Amino acid sequence: MPSGGESMLESDNGTLGWLNFFHKGIGYFAYTMHRISGIVILLYLYLHFFVLSNLLRGGVAFNDLITSFTYGPYDIFIVMDILLSLVIFYHGANGVRLMLNEAGYGLKHHKLMFFILESGAMILMLLFLYYAWQVLLSGGGV
Amino acid sequence: MANLEALDKEAEKKRTRPIGSIQWLFQAASGAFIIFFLGVHLYVAHINGGSPIELFDTVVGNLRDPWWLAFFLIFLWVVTYHGLNGLKGIIYETGISAKARKFVSWAIFAVFVVSVIYGTILSLVVAQMAIP
Repeated sequence: MPSGGESMLESDNGTLGWLNFFHKGIGYFAYTMHRISGIVILLYLYLHFFVLSNLLRGGVAFNDLITSFTYGPYDIFIVMDILLSLVIFYHGANGVRLMLNEAGYGLKHHKLMFFILESGAMILMLLFLYYAWQVLLSGGGV
Repeated sequence: MANLEALDKEAEKKRTRPIGSIQWLFQAASGAFIIFFLGVHLYVAHINGGSPIELFDTVVGNLRDPWWLAFFLIFLWVVTYHGLNGLKGIIYETGISAKARKFVSWAIFAVFVVSVIYGTILSLVVAQMAIP
């Protein structure tokens, strides 16, 4: 069972066996979610490139686009942003755990490390979302 | 019992990293950098970056500063490398042939080069734009 470091990179269940993490423990869950979150973040990276390319259309067009994502009519993107932040903070915390495991730290307590690092990441994420939300609220009336 | 041990040893032999050790080291190192870069980026873009209504001015203003431009360019290169190298690892894990691995490796490298060139040119062009 994958636990951390090198063993997290194994694939012994066939081509897409890593997707089947049910009833296989927290190690497999972390392993699968790290890959899924990584793919989601990579897709977002290219979406980010696309959105930033709109800077070339000038200030009015770019600000209109960003405003439509934040204050409507396409403000559903805020929900997607919140989900994206969940994915990013999860991936980062699990990545830190993998690095520590690779360096030989916490191999015997990888489950505890997983919960501690992910809990810390979720607290940081909530703080980030709170302050980012305050910025959105303060900008809404401008 | 002996059979189980033999099977374990056989499974151990088959265990290989989907990407090489050097690439794994680069993946970990780039991941560590990204935690710092992304932390700064999230703070600047979403907390201390001004109103989303005037985001264009903020972005162009930041990119005009050579230090911020360098910061974002390094961030762009590192995060693109990390993402595409991770994708390569996932594709390798599917157990594709050595020939297919070579093709995937070159294809991912090509996507990386195109992405960073595009992102770099975009950043440099935006840095020259006038703030209304």
